[in-house]
Order: sequence, then C-alpha cells, then structure tokens
Amino acid sequence: MARIKKKGTAGNAKNYMTRSQAVRKLQLSLPDFRRLCIFKGIYPREPRNKKRVNKSSTASTTFYYTKDIQYLLHEPLLAKFRDQKALAKKISKALGRNDVGDAARFEKNLTPKLKLDHIIKERYPTFVDALRDLDDALSMLFLFANLPGNQNVPPKMIARCQRLTMEFEHFLIRTHAMRKSFLSIKGIYYQATIQGQDILWLVPYKFVQTAGPDVDFRIMATFVEFYATLLSFVNYRLYSSIGLVYPPRFDLKSEEQGGELNAFQLEGQQLEAQAEAGSLMDTGANEKAQAEADRLLEAENNGEPQSSYATAPETSVVETTADGETTETPLAALDQFASIDPNANALQQPSLTADSQVAGKLFEPFTFFLSRETPRHSLEFLLKAFGCRRVGWNITLGEGAYCDESDPRITHQIVDRPDIPVPAPEDDDEDAAAARKANERVPGRTYVQPQWVWDSINAGQLQRPDLYAPGATLPPHLSPWVKPKKGEYDPTKSLEEQELEGEAEAAAAEDEDDSGSEGEEVAGVRGDEETAELEDDMAAIEQGEGMDVNLAGSDDESDEADESDEAEEDDDEFGGFSGDEDEDAAADSKSAADAHQAELEAEARGQKVAPAKAPTAKEKVAAAKDKRSRAEREAEEDLERRKMMAPRRKRKMYEKMVYSNARKDEEAERLRDKRRKIEKKGKKAA
Amino acid sequence: MAPQRAGQKRKVVEVPRPKQQEEDDALGNGLLDGAIDDGSSSEDGASEDGSEEEFEEDEDEDEELDSDEIPSSEDEEEEDVRQQIRDLKTRDTKKLTGTDTAKDIASISSGTPVKPLADDADKPNYTIETDANGNERYVYKEIEPNYDSDDSDAPDGVNTIGNIPLSYYDAYPHIGYDINGKRIARPAKGEALDSLLDSIDLPEGWTGLTDPATGKPLNLSREELEVLKQLTRNERPGEGYDPYPDMVEWFTGKHNQEIMPLSAAPEPKRRFVPSMHEHKRVMKMVKAIKEGRIQPYREPTEEDKEKDEQEDFATYDVWADEAPRPDHIMNVPAPKLPPPGYEESYHPPAEYLPDKAEREAWEQADEEDRTRDYLPQDHSALRRVPGYARFVKEKFERCLDLYLAPRVRRSKLNIDPESLLPKLPDPAELRPFPDHVATVFKGHDGRVRTVAIDPSGQYLASGGDDGTVRIWELKTGYCFQRVKLSTTDAVNVVSWRPTTDPPILAACCSDSVHFIVPSASVTTPEAETQAIELITAGFNNPNANQPLKTASGADKPSPSSWHRPIPAHGSQGVYLTISLRSMPKTFVWHRRGDYFATVCPNTSATSTAVAIHTLSKHLSQHPFRRLRGLAQTATFHPSKPLFFVATRQRVRVYDLQQQKLERELQPGARWISSISLHPLGSNLIVSSYDRRLLWHDMDLGTTPYKVLRYHDKAIRSAKFHPSLPLFADASDDGSVQVFHGKVVGDSMENATVVPLKVLRGHKVVKELGVLDLDWHPREAWCVSAGADGTVRLWT
Repeated sequence: MARIKKKGTAGNAKNYMTRSQAVRKLQLSLPDFRRLCIFKGIYPREPRNKKRVNKSSTASTTFYYTKDIQYLLHEPLLAKFRDQKALAKKISKALGRNDVGDAARFEKNLTPKLKLDHIIKERYPTFVDALRDLDDALSMLFLFANLPGNQNVPPKMIARCQRLTMEFEHFLIRTHAMRKSFLSIKGIYYQATIQGQDILWLVPYKFVQTAGPDVDFRIMATFVEFYATLLSFVNYRLYSSIGLVYPPRFDLKSEEQGGELNAFQLEGQQLEAQAEAGSLMDTGANEKAQAEADRLLEAENNGEPQSSYATAPETSVVETTADGETTETPLAALDQFASIDPNANALQQPSLTADSQVAGKLFEPFTFFLSRETPRHSLEFLLKAFGCRRVGWNITLGEGAYCDESDPRITHQIVDRPDIPVPAPEDDDEDAAAARKANERVPGRTYVQPQWVWDSINAGQLQRPDLYAPGATLPPHLSPWVKPKKGEYDPTKSLEEQELEGEAEAAAAEDEDDSGSEGEEVAGVRGDEETAELEDDMAAIEQGEGMDVNLAGSDDESDEADESDEAEEDDDEFGGFSGDEDEDAAADSKSAADAHQAELEAEARGQKVAPAKAPTAKEKVAAAKDKRSRAEREAEEDLERRKMMAPRRKRKMYEKMVYSNARKDEEAERLRDKRRKIEKKGKKAA
Repeated sequence: MAPQRAGQKRKVVEVPRPKQQEEDDALGNGLLDGAIDDGSSSEDGASEDGSEEEFEEDEDEDEELDSDEIPSSEDEEEEDVRQQIRDLKTRDTKKLTGTDTAKDIASISSGTPVKPLADDADKPNYTIETDANGNERYVYKEIEPNYDSDDSDAPDGVNTIGNIPLSYYDAYPHIGYDINGKRIARPAKGEALDSLLDSIDLPEGWTGLTDPATGKPLNLSREELEVLKQLTRNERPGEGYDPYPDMVEWFTGKHNQEIMPLSAAPEPKRRFVPSMHEHKRVMKMVKAIKEGRIQPYREPTEEDKEKDEQEDFATYDVWADEAPRPDHIMNVPAPKLPPPGYEESYHPPAEYLPDKAEREAWEQADEEDRTRDYLPQDHSALRRVPGYARFVKEKFERCLDLYLAPRVRRSKLNIDPESLLPKLPDPAELRPFPDHVATVFKGHDGRVRTVAIDPSGQYLASGGDDGTVRIWELKTGYCFQRVKLSTTDAVNVVSWRPTTDPPILAACCSDSVHFIVPSASVTTPEAETQAIELITAGFNNPNANQPLKTASGADKPSPSSWHRPIPAHGSQGVYLTISLRSMPKTFVWHRRGDYFATVCPNTSATSTAVAIHTLSKHLSQHPFRRLRGLAQTATFHPSKPLFFVATRQRVRVYDLQQQKLERELQPGARWISSISLHPLGSNLIVSSYDRRLLWHDMDLGTTPYKVLRYHDKAIRSAKFHPSLPLFADASDDGSVQVFHGKVVGDSMENATVVPLKVLRGHKVVKELGVLDLDWHPREAWCVSAGADGTVRLWT
C-alpha cells in the first residue's frame, strides 16, 4: 500500500513561497531583493488555490514561484550585492572614525560594478524577445532623458539615457521604421515596427517633470539601469544589422550647442554598398515580419468588420512642390478596398503606413522649416523618419539646422502661433516691424500647424494643408490605434451611420421636452473656446492672403457638398417618418378615424373642411417611440423566455457579459447623444 | 581545707589571708569569719561590683556550709559596716594593683620570704637563683595572663565550681553555680530502664563518661571522634602548627632584587644602525618614482574616461548566437499598456469632452475609483498643451506593477453572450397559444373564484364570492343563466360533467354540492330531461342514504346526504343537492361522468376529507381510512384506475382497483395549491403557494423534472390543455403564464418545456390576482377568473 501523503508537502503548497520566505532563503535585505527581482524580471504569482498555498491562513501575502527563487540563488549578482554590503560597512566604519578621505577612497575604488549582460541574455534569449519588451524600456528611458538631475538621478544617468534614446531614434530615421504617432495630453506616442514587432512608447512634452513625494526614484533608477543596458544592446544589434558602427561618434560640443540628433555621426562599418545591402535585407525581413504581425492581428480580431480604412479621406492629394508645379503624389502601393454591401464581410487590410517604402517617401520632396515655437525635436525626428532630409529651424532652437528662415528652398513652414494681421507699414516703430517679420508670409510656402505632420503620418497621406493653416480651427486629432468595433462609437463616421433604429427620433423627442437646458453645458466644457473663436475670426479675415485660391475654392465646394449632404439627410429622416406611418397601421387607424369624425362634424356645421393636416411632429415622434418600444418589447420578451430556460450558471454568466456589453453600448450612446447635441447647436448657430 | 587542685582564683583570694590570719588569730577564726561574712553579705548590692561580690559569695557559701550565722546587734552594725568597707577598700587597692605584682612588691618590700600560699602546692611557682652579688634571687615563672584575667567571654551556664570532683555535690540537688551565682540544677536522670536501654544500644559517640560541666553523659560528635582518631595515628599536626605562616621574601622584596643580567653578551650593532635591506627597497622606490614608473596619484586620462564610458554602451552582440527558448507555462510576460484612445488626444472630437456633471463626478470621485486617471481636455493648438503632471507618477506605477503585481494567466471568454442561452423554438412555430384577451366577462360581484368551459366548448360557467353561478356564451360574453346559490357563501368550484350530453354542471357552495341543469336556452329540451333523469335516478336506489354499518354493527355517521334541492334552488335549475359535512374545495369528475371526487381540506377528520361519489346510485364513500397529511386536491387518471391525492407537501397515487398506494411524489413544495395531469397521464404539474411550478415526469422518479419559478406571488392553479401541448398557471401577481409543454409518447425523449407568453390583464385586488383558469377543450383558448370580478378569455 502506498504511503499516505502528508498535507502541504507537495503540489501548490511547495510550488510557491511568500516574499519573506524568499528573502530569508536568499539572505538578502529587502531592497536588495527588490533590485534583484527587477533585474531578473521575477514577479509575484497568483496561485490558483490560494488557500492551499497559504496553508489555510487567510493573511494576504504575495507569493513567488519557488523555482524562480531557486534560480535566483545562483545569480552572480548576489555576490556583487554582498560586496556592496561589505563596502557599505567599511565606509560607515571609516566615517565613524572620521576618516572621510578613506571613506571617499573606498567608495571610489571599491564600488563593485554591476554587469547586467548575462541577465539580458537570460531574459531575452532572442532579439525579437527583447524588441517585444521594448515598450516600457523606451518610455522609461525617454522620461529619464527629459528629467532634471537630482540626488537620486545622477546627471550621468540622464546623459546616458539621452544618448541611448537618440541613437535609437537615429536608427529609426535611417530605416524609416516609424509608423504612427499621436499627440496626447500626456505626451507624444510613437509607434515603430522593427522586425515585425510593434513598439509603442510615450515621450513627455518638454516640461520640467514634477514627481510627488510618493515616487521612489531608487526603484525607477533600478529599472532604468536595466533598461539602459537593454537598449544599448538592442542599439548595437540594430546598428550592426544596417552596417553601422556602434556606438556612433558623439560630438560633445555639438550636444552642448543643442545639436540633439545632429550631435551623432553615424559611420558605416565597411563599404557603403554593403551597408545598402544590409538595409535592403532588413526591409525584406520587415515585410515578412509585418505579414506575420498582420496575421496575428487578424487572428486576434477574429474577422470583425473593420471599416475605418474604408472611410479614409479620399480627397485627391494635390501638393505644391518647391517649383510651384502641382503634381499628383504617387499613391501608396496598396489600394483601398471599400466594401459596397454593408452585409458582406470586410477583409482586414494592412494600413497605409505599414510599408517602409511609403514611410520613407512621405515628406521626401519637401524642405521644412520649424518655427521657434514648435517642438523641434519631435518634429525633426518625425520629419526625418518619414523621409524628409532637409529640416531647418530657427537658430534659437539649437544647432544643425539645414537652412534658415529666409532660404528660398523651403516648401513648408510649420507654425504654431495665432494669426495676427500684419501691421500696416506706416507706423514704423520697431515692435511693429518685428511683428511683421514674425508674421510675414513668404509666397509659395505652405504654412501649417504641427498637427498636420501627425495627421499626415497617421493617414499615410499628406493632409489638406488649408485645414491646418495657422490660426485655423484644427480638425480633431484622432488616435490611430483605435479600431472601432461593432456597436462602438466611431467619430470618423457620420452619426446617421451608427445610430440605432429610432434613436435619433427618441432623442429629438427628449430634446423637445427639455430644450434650452442643454445648450450651455456643452459650451462650458471647452476651456479655451474664446480663444478659438478669436482665432476663427482672424482666420476669416486673413483667409485670402496666404492661401492658394484654388484651395479656398475647394473649401467652398466642400461646404456646399456638406450642405447638400445635410439636405439629403433631412430628406431621409422625413422618409423614415412616413415609412413608420405606413407600418404603424394600428396607431394610424385611430387617428384616421378621428380625422374622419372631425371632417363629418365640420360638414355638419357647414364649415370648410380643414385640409387633412400631416401628423404633427409630436405625433410622429410618439409613433416612432411607440414603434421602437414595441420592437424592443418583443425582443425583450423573447430574451426573457430564453433566459428562463437556461441553467442558472449560464444565466449568471450571460447576465455578466450583457452587463459589460451594456456599459460599452451605453458609453457609445452617450457619445452619440453628445455629438447630436453639438451638431444641432452648430446648425442652429449657422 | 583548700582542695589540692585549687585554681588561680582561689590563690588570689588566699593571698591576703595570711595577713588576716595574722590579725585575727586572737579572735576565733570561725566566729570572725562568720561576722565578716555576714556584714559583707548585708552590704551585698550596695557598693560592690559584680565580680567582687562573686568572690565574696564564693567564700560565703563555703563558709556557710560549716558555720551557722550569728545574728549581730543593730547598733554595732553601723560601726561594723564602716569598718568593713574600709577593709574592703584596702583589699580592693591590693587587688587593683594587680594580684601577682602586688605580691611581688609586698614580698620585696617586706624582704621576708613569702610563705608559699598553697599549702597543697607541691612545688613553688618560683625558682631561687643567686644574683650577681651572690644573693639569692627569686625568679618567678611567667604568668599567663589570660587565666588570671577577668574573663567575661566565659560561656553562659557554665559550671563555675572549678576543678573539683562533681561527687562533692552528690548530696545536693544542684551540681554547681553559674557565673551569676545561680545554682545549676542537676540534670534529670533517666530511669533504670532507660539507662539499661542506653547500655544496650549505645548512642553514637558514646564514651561512658560524664561531662563534668553539665553532669550529662559525655558524647563525642563525629568531627571530634575524627580528630581523636587522627591524633592517635599521628596524622594531625601538633600543637604548634601554624597553617598560615607569614611570607618570607627570599628573592623579592625591597632589597632582594636580582641586579646582575643573565647574559653578559653586549648589544649587537644592528640594534643601533638603520636596516640596509629597507634602505635598498626604499631606494628602489625612490628610483622608480624618479623615473616615473610609480606615480603616487594619476589623474584619469581621456582614455580612461572613454573606456569608462565605453563600458556603458554595448561593445558586442549579446544575441550573436541566439537560440529561441520554448515558452514555459509559468512564464507570464507583462501585459503591454493599451494604446491611447480618442479621449486622450490633445484635441479630441468635442463629444469626448466631459460635460459639467461628468467633470464634477470625476473630481469628486476618489482617485482609485476613477475609471481613467485624467480628464479629456481640448487644446486648440499644440503650443497650448501643458506638461502632464502625473507623468512620472504613472511611469512609477507602471514600474511597481511590473515587479510587484502578481501575474496570472486568465482566459477571456470571447463568445457571443447569446450563445449561452438555449435555442428556443420560435414562438411562431409553437402557435397556436393564447396571447391576447378576446372577451372580458363582467357581472360578478366580488371575486370570481372558479371558471369552467363545458365539454362542447360553447359555454362558460363561473362562480364567485357573490354566491352565484353564471353561465355565459364563450364567444360573445352573453350571460345565459344566473343561479343564486347562496347569499352569504361563495361558490368555490364549478365543474361540467365531462361528457358532452346532456350538460350537467356541478357547483360547490359552502358545504353542499349542487347539480344544475342549464336552462333550455342552453340545451335542447330532450337533453334537459335526459339530464334531470340522470341526476335524479339515484333517488330510487334503496341503498342511498343508508347509514353504513361499522364492524360492531353500529351506524356509521353518514358522510353525506343526497336530497332534493330547497325550492328556492329548485326553481333555478338545481335538481340535486349533496350535503357534505365540510366545505369542498375541489370537485373532479371521473372521465366517464358517473363518479366524482370532492376534497374538503378544512374537515376535522383527515379521513373524511376525500370522498368519492357515485352519481347514478347517490352513494358517497370515503376511500381512505386514514390519510397522512391534509388533503388539498385530488384528480383521476385519464385512462387508468388511478387516483391522485395531493396533501400539502406530497402527491400520492392510489390504485383504486387494488386499493393500495401506488407511489408517492415529492415535489418539494411547501404547500401545494393544485395539480393537473397531462391527458396522456404520464406527466403531472404541481403548482404551489410558494411560487413554484413543478413538472413531474412520472417515469423519471419522485422528484420534479423541472422546477419553474417565474411568478412573484403564489400560484393558485395550473392546468394542462386537454388536447394541445400547452399548459398555463394562474398566480396572485395577476398574470397567467402560458407554456408549451410537449410530451412525447416515446419514453426515451424528455418532455420539452418552453415558456410562451405572460398574459397580463387582471388587476390585483387585495393581494389576489388570478384565482382559476381553464382551457377550451379544443382551441388554444384559455379563461381565467380574476379577483377583480372579471373573467377573461384569452385567444
């Protein structure tokens, strides 16, 4: 007979250990354990059966996988930690004896240097693994590159972060691996695709970052130490893959002058030709990887209809080159398939910017000039990454500009300032002259706001610059990563496309009930509406001057088109009502009878019969409501019956899922409702 | 007289004696002795100190032994006393000058040889020598001072008689005197037997001697014996042995140090000359420093710095020989942060901006409760975008998540929720079923308690609280006939005889059952007469109304009485009245229409609750001698001779032919309200007041096959449709629920139950909704009796 097994000697009870057990086993202090965990990527687990693991104790503890801890026991870093501990003792002893010099010497000479190379190799056995985990690393390093130094963050670390991130950016520029970017209130999101891996990171705006007292910089510094090592190896690999020497030569003097990206000098490893071949090879790999990534994405979304691409702006892109000729830009290699039948399955299509060929050519023919008030670094990086080679900026923004403002080669100037009318040349005081200079428009140049760059990148096509003219009210900036699912609100589509049946009518009814109260709510939301209005006015005044005439014309056309659209919409709505009437025979018969009765009475009195008036708006609304509610009721009843017959467990699960779905629907409906109100207000104003 | 072993004390006292003897020779020695003694004794406590007195007394006592006291005259006494004092004083001075020295002085000064004091002493305490002049000279022995001194350390209670044999005191009760002059009593001697015993077993340390000091037998302690033994063996050092002698400093001490060195060798030269070897080494270093080979401190050069910096950057490819590692199930990679949505944009579409209420809600919510940790904001231009204050905090939280948050793999259920629910057949396929109200029958005053549709499907009978039975035309709602059975009591049940012709209606009102033949407008006259005949045929039966005999022959109380109706009823079409002894609440016909059963749940004796009656013979009988539980309702099996009786919690099935209990069903309800048997007879629905409807498949066991709980209030009644696969239940919540319940004859397939329709229309009055319902025999129509006084036909 087999021995009776004792409880708690095998299985889950042995597979997990608490943190204090782990610390005791490793004979480390808690901060050292934390550092080790961060370096090695060890994290707590959630055992499936917590009670069994915790030996029936109900105290809430974190559990580590025992094998993880076992594996930490053989870590070479442990010896380094112990050395550090010994050194700390020596130093404190020396300080106790007042031997400050000794202490300083110990600290300088004996501090053990942590090498994390082996950990990188362990945690990321392949390069792709490292790329997959690069999101957090980049966000963190970009943050530290923008931090001011303090006692927890030595300037050396910041300088290292800056160098590493800029090296990485150089690689992206060289290979045109950038795909998308997004201006958020938190910072600027960038997405690059390297070897089929989508890497998304966030860079803060250039402001002094404030950290609350509850932020422990030691933990962050530990992370940064690891991430910096990781990124340096990644950079090495990336650079050598395109035949560049790593690290690139770094010009300190240029850096001090604000050269930023231009402080680096990339050098080819061997002959230039070979480097070319390397980069070609890399792009080949990219394509393959991208195909793989697309396949994965498709599997994830499971064939849900994707319609956002179908509605990509179809305006034919007309640009003015430096010479003033208008040329049709070569459209992206891929054609867009718009599904005609809404019931048919829409196929997943790669996005326009997915191709490095497209990405490399987007801004290629242009010369940009960045105004003083624009974020130079991000614009320079993005423009260069999307093919532009000639980017100039005001000398105050740092060294390394391609040209200055007066250069005639400039085709686009990125401006982010209100459009103030140029003062008349009569009053010739200095201020006016300076203002005029700042607001002067060089003919032949396209002046755009920075958002134009981002929207063009995300759309994979150059956007209409007139929408982004200085001082113009910008179109909303949309996140390129949102893939609207069925039933969710999509701001790119018109309201009519996504409304549920009868929703608009119901909303209209509600509006009539409580009209007047909702007006200022929306108005109050927009914080800087006044300024927007001001800018609008100015734009209206200035419109003709800097812009090409044909663009203004196109604007009018679009307005007309809009109007006609609206008219059509109105027609549609009307038709909808009449349709309702037809269907709603039961409700109608009564009203018909009433009408007939009235007619008879009128006749009896000898009066003229009032023309059979169309049902009033209220009646229509009521009918629509009734119809909607009846359909709803029927569906509800059916559902109720089915729920009655389902087993309890499934019913609960169903209710849970329905609840979460309902919340999403509610959110979508809320957004639609808001938009409806805003549109209505706009119409009223117009 | 003085004993030979007289001690020194004695001597001291004796020293002056020769003088006195000289003085008092003339006087009688004894007399004078006594006189002095007397005087001294009278003066005892006045001026003498203790020690003096003792001496005196010692003498006294001695004297007293032989001389009796002589009383002295009073007047002489004073003189004597003074004399004595003087004497004493002189004696004192002698004494004070020291006993022996005084003697010496006295002897020297007198120059006369002093007669040895102790006449018994065999040798004198001095030696005679010749001095330098040839005169003899008395050299006295040195006197040990301690024996002569006043020893106050002497132990208490020690006998002070001195060195005399104890036998002197044999004649006295005491054995001597203590230091205070008190007599020491002779210790009590043991009896002869004791002494014998003592002699037999010797106590430890027995010596056989008597301690002279105490007169007790002298016993030696163990230590003393040991000392004695050591003495006999010469193991003990002698008298003069000093165990702790003073140290004698032979080699140390003040003048005894060793002054001369051990070795006489001179100090070597090397002790005074610097080391050649060290010099060589120092010179080497000096040379090296001069040559620049050793540098005491070197500034880190550019190269060093560069090298240092180089170490910060990778110098080789870690993934040069990369080998993919298969993923382990315990490896849980950190989830990536989701990409930003529209609302995070610096310039989002206007509908994403929060309105006032949302903004307030967000600001008032606790930081942890917020769905997102920022408010969407709109900035008209990029230059207006401020820094994000929470940036560092967010990244820090992400760091914490990465190393502190427990990771677990969760599989997300990504299915359509609709697929969880069972696929029900489309209600359209299950038609026909009643879904709307067709006719409302109004007329009853108060609640309508019961409804029944006649077997032909044309008429509807209803009974209510107003004590009337009404017969209506089903399609139009026209009331043909109204039978007032009672003014006070309600009509509880109405029931049509199940065969089509002739139509007979039974109605239960209070404790009687009335048989009504509808008026001619409802039926043909022939049918009416046929019906009357059928009802009244039993009056000819001689056995009817005969009391049954018990086993002992006495009359059993009759369960019921069958009689003709009272005239008031007779005129309304009632032809027969049965009086039961309790109020029947259930009335069910057997399918052939000859038998019927009544159940009176309120009866006192449970055995009489259920009665089965024969219409043709006007016979009533109680089939159960004893019934466990209170019977609530009963029904006949449609084809077999089975009888179903429902008590409050059980349903029992009896075989009427074999007269035995067939089986017992346990619906699990707390209080059954009604039961209904499927027309095929294999399925039973049980409704209960605790809001449950229980479907029993008789083939499947005693517990219900399905439990349906869709009503909010008690279910009053449930009924199967006689021909269609439908059933319905009526509840106090005012609704009637219609179900599709298809029973297949094949026992391999379970019954399918599908909810079809909730019929609402009856109002709830005093917490009562729908009280009864009945199905049309052929159509999918259903009537319900409501507490609001209406009957509704649902089609």
